[in-house]
Amino acid sequence: MSTPPAPTSGAEREAADTRRSPEVAGGSGRAGAVERRTTGQRLGKTALLAIVFLWCLIPFLWMFATSLKTTDEALASPVPWQGPWGWSNYLSVFDQGFGYNLRNSLVVASMTTIICVGIGSLAAYAVARLELGKKALILTGILTVSLFPPVSLVPPLYEVWRAVGLLNTYPGMWIAYIAFTLPLSIFILTTFFNAIPKDLEEAARVDGATPFQTFYRVILPLAAPGVGSAAILVFSYAWNEYLLASTFAPRDLGAQTVPVAIAGFSGSVQFQEPVGTIMAACVVVTVPMVFFVLILQKRIVAGLTAGGVKG
Amino acid sequence: MATATDARPAAAPGGPRPNRNGISERGLARLFISPSITAMAIVALFPILYAVVLSFYEYVGLQQGGFTALGNYVDALTDGRFWDSVIATFVFTVFSVTFEFLIGMGFALIMHQAFVGRGVARATILIPWVIPTVIAAQMWRYMFEVTPGFINWALPFVPDDFNWLGSSGWAMFTIIFADVWKTAPFVALLLLAGLQTIPEEVYEAGRVDGASAWQRFTRITLPLLRPAILVAMLFRTTDALRIYDLPAVMTRGAFGTETLSVLVQDFVIATPNPGFASTLSVLTFILVLGVGVLLVSVLGKELVLGDEA
Amino acid sequence: MTTRAWSAALVLVLAVLAAGCLRGSSPTDAISEDELIWAISVNDRPTHELVAQAWNEAHPDTPVRIEWLPPDANEQRRQLFLELNAGSSLFDVVSMDVIWTGEFANNGWIDDLSELRDQVEGNSLQASVDSCTWDGALWCLPYSSNAGFLYYRTDLVEEPPTTWPELVEVGLQAAEEAGISPYVAQGAQYEGMVVNFLEYFWSAGGQIISDDESQATFAEGDAARTALEFMRDAQRNGFYAPGFNTLIEDPARLQFQRGDAVFMRNWPYAYPLLSGEDEENPSAVAGKFDIAPLPTFDGEGTISALGGFNLAINAFSRKKDLAREFILFASQEQDTQMILGRRSLPPTLQAVYDALADDPAMALLSEVLPEAQARPPLPTWNSISQAMQDNVFPAYNGTKSVDAAIEAIQAEVEDAVSIGGQ
Repeated sequence: MSTPPAPTSGAEREAADTRRSPEVAGGSGRAGAVERRTTGQRLGKTALLAIVFLWCLIPFLWMFATSLKTTDEALASPVPWQGPWGWSNYLSVFDQGFGYNLRNSLVVASMTTIICVGIGSLAAYAVARLELGKKALILTGILTVSLFPPVSLVPPLYEVWRAVGLLNTYPGMWIAYIAFTLPLSIFILTTFFNAIPKDLEEAARVDGATPFQTFYRVILPLAAPGVGSAAILVFSYAWNEYLLASTFAPRDLGAQTVPVAIAGFSGSVQFQEPVGTIMAACVVVTVPMVFFVLILQKRIVAGLTAGGVKG
Repeated sequence: MATATDARPAAAPGGPRPNRNGISERGLARLFISPSITAMAIVALFPILYAVVLSFYEYVGLQQGGFTALGNYVDALTDGRFWDSVIATFVFTVFSVTFEFLIGMGFALIMHQAFVGRGVARATILIPWVIPTVIAAQMWRYMFEVTPGFINWALPFVPDDFNWLGSSGWAMFTIIFADVWKTAPFVALLLLAGLQTIPEEVYEAGRVDGASAWQRFTRITLPLLRPAILVAMLFRTTDALRIYDLPAVMTRGAFGTETLSVLVQDFVIATPNPGFASTLSVLTFILVLGVGVLLVSVLGKELVLGDEA
Repeated sequence: MTTRAWSAALVLVLAVLAAGCLRGSSPTDAISEDELIWAISVNDRPTHELVAQAWNEAHPDTPVRIEWLPPDANEQRRQLFLELNAGSSLFDVVSMDVIWTGEFANNGWIDDLSELRDQVEGNSLQASVDSCTWDGALWCLPYSSNAGFLYYRTDLVEEPPTTWPELVEVGLQAAEEAGISPYVAQGAQYEGMVVNFLEYFWSAGGQIISDDESQATFAEGDAARTALEFMRDAQRNGFYAPGFNTLIEDPARLQFQRGDAVFMRNWPYAYPLLSGEDEENPSAVAGKFDIAPLPTFDGEGTISALGGFNLAINAFSRKKDLAREFILFASQEQDTQMILGRRSLPPTLQAVYDALADDPAMALLSEVLPEAQARPPLPTWNSISQAMQDNVFPAYNGTKSVDAAIEAIQAEVEDAVSIGGQ
């Protein structure tokens, strides 16, 4: 297995590309620049991209191929295209109520993202811009709280959740998730807010905006890439999380999330590992996530190149 | 919250500045930050205190014995198994974070470029990361297992019966590999967000001055990326020090892959001893905190705190 | 973004916020309060569902609903642990692995059922009843059992060997001739491997603790040494298939099913799968294999580890009378136990074995089960098992000396015995 080349050649590709990008973006007809790109560089770039694609995709393709295998014989063979094939694994996935799990994961992850980014941006703005006092202490405290090994936090949290009646509910999960994703979100957003020039806020204040208005009209759009990144990271954490979800909503289809459900798949006989079904569930889970992330990424870039930070 | 009624001009930096709406800046700051602090205090702080208190008690199974102050700590620090897991944890962290950064940087640079098919490239790069961790762990386990043996089959220079998961050293390799595969996109995203805030003019200026691509990378990109690198490194390192899912699913902690969290979970569920488990957790916490503080002081805390360190 | 886009986004956000405040709907929401809750692993789901169905038909006013626990034994234990440790009355009937009896009883999580002993003894297999006993009392009723079989290829081996050394000899030779591996079993670092080890250990005459549960006898005699050295040599000379030290039950079964092994040690569940009974799932060894009792070191008799599940009543349950009726139904009624027997989940009621004597797997089970040995039902069994996992595994892989391993395990057993008598 080979790792992609070190940044040196990557930067060379970058050089080749930035020379080319004005053409792509603005079409400023600098035909001479095209000839400067050598075949070697183009081949190199294609090879690099090919390696990246293989690195990322081969396991996923293997997962998809395995999900189509319907017999033990096929599953025991290392050859990915060993038949017989069929969609029966996908049918078994949904037989077990997987649709409920998808819904639950979607709701929990969305709630976590919305609330975490919401209150996280406020906190990050306070830390970055507003007069707060003892910032170092607060930030250290925030960071510290997130450093405990999650496995040991589970038993006491479980007892409290049980007493309060939060087991097998959505809030049971997103409340905990928010607490664990806030540190990262606040840090990312703080560094973004810090990078925004202060003159913009001064200008807004001079124009008579309240801190709230300044926050929404001036700061937030400029911090869009940071907000987007934080959102994706939080969503992904909540979507992937297993330990807390398997403790707080282990079996009830009203709240059980996707990773917990997949860990609970079983064959029709004891000890039988339903590899094909598990892989089918993974494919079902991954494909929409990829589309979701693809769309969100585009938004961020669009927001930025529309003239945010420059000038 | 203090409310001042006189309209003071916006002059002295750092002083409380009431505006027309009457809430002082300090008050507003407190208002903004309180929901976050509350959430974290309730959920994260209380179990930590609970665990710290428990760590001072001796347990026999689930039965609480007496107060033993630092007795559990002495037991843990003199236990070879604890130090083995510290080593395993560090080995894992150093290698996985290093490779995640190298590969993540490469990915970030690629995702930052404008070229035909960029959207597809970005989606592809993000695929490993959107797969839930326990699933990815299962998947890599099946791939590395001798039966069915996909990795052994796909790599022509590896014998068909090579036992990745069952050999010292290689077992750790598979876990690091799976983690790097899965998490490099996360690092890439953080670095990409940083890359996107670097204005194009700075590169132009560099190019005009005659800087080579490599010089532009090391003299312009890297320094301006420092905040993003700090955040990414901080969070990846602290996460890697506490890794649980991957070793638990792929190797069950065998062959030198028992990391600190796997060890803790052993004492929470398998051979329950709430006191000892809490002790191990606190020790892990101190370790992670120490590394975190070290990183922040080395990489520059003024980046995070703004100019008011 | 346009105002319309903002409004749409806002509506979406509000919708999510509204949905996320409680919990989603679930197909089990509409079920009544009078139901009995039975917690059992999702393995063998169709079989357990049939048992539940049989009860529901006989008791329509007090139906039973199953809470499915995960397939992995550790995860099952974790979920039970969390519920019972918190004093939850969610589960009424709890399915316990045979090794959890002492621990759950000692923690006060399950009820004493000694008054049912008369109904059970003589009807259920003795070994299973023993696995329900701790500290002189009966804590659960037997439900299903399990014992190890030796699976062997009839086209490569004439007669199943009766001693372990013979097995190695025959296996290595046959494997070389056929170009496959000699032996697959459970070798990963987990409880299944401990089961394999104990089968060697017991068949060499070893005993972990004394009969009165007061002394650690693990290191006495040379049984431990014999067993460990056997495993170490098997791994070294290639008797154990490549990748043996990561094998668990199903991968081993798959390897044998592909025709890649001469011998396999596995549970009876593999029998119908290997016979290719499911047309959609063909087996390369269908018709070319058979089952036999596990060998011993001296060729006399056979010993296998006892597995299976017992049913207990949650000490915090609010429906104990109903629960008691249910577990008697599941454990002692011949019709119910026949459901298990016909679906290849080894039952615990002796009469079923008599009735199904012409099924080869059942016949072998009835031969092997009387000799099956239960692991000591101590509350501290888990720590003994951990010690065995942590020491037997490196010992047979050659990274720890046999003596050091035996010493470490003996020390742990001694600890466990002194604690366990509380």
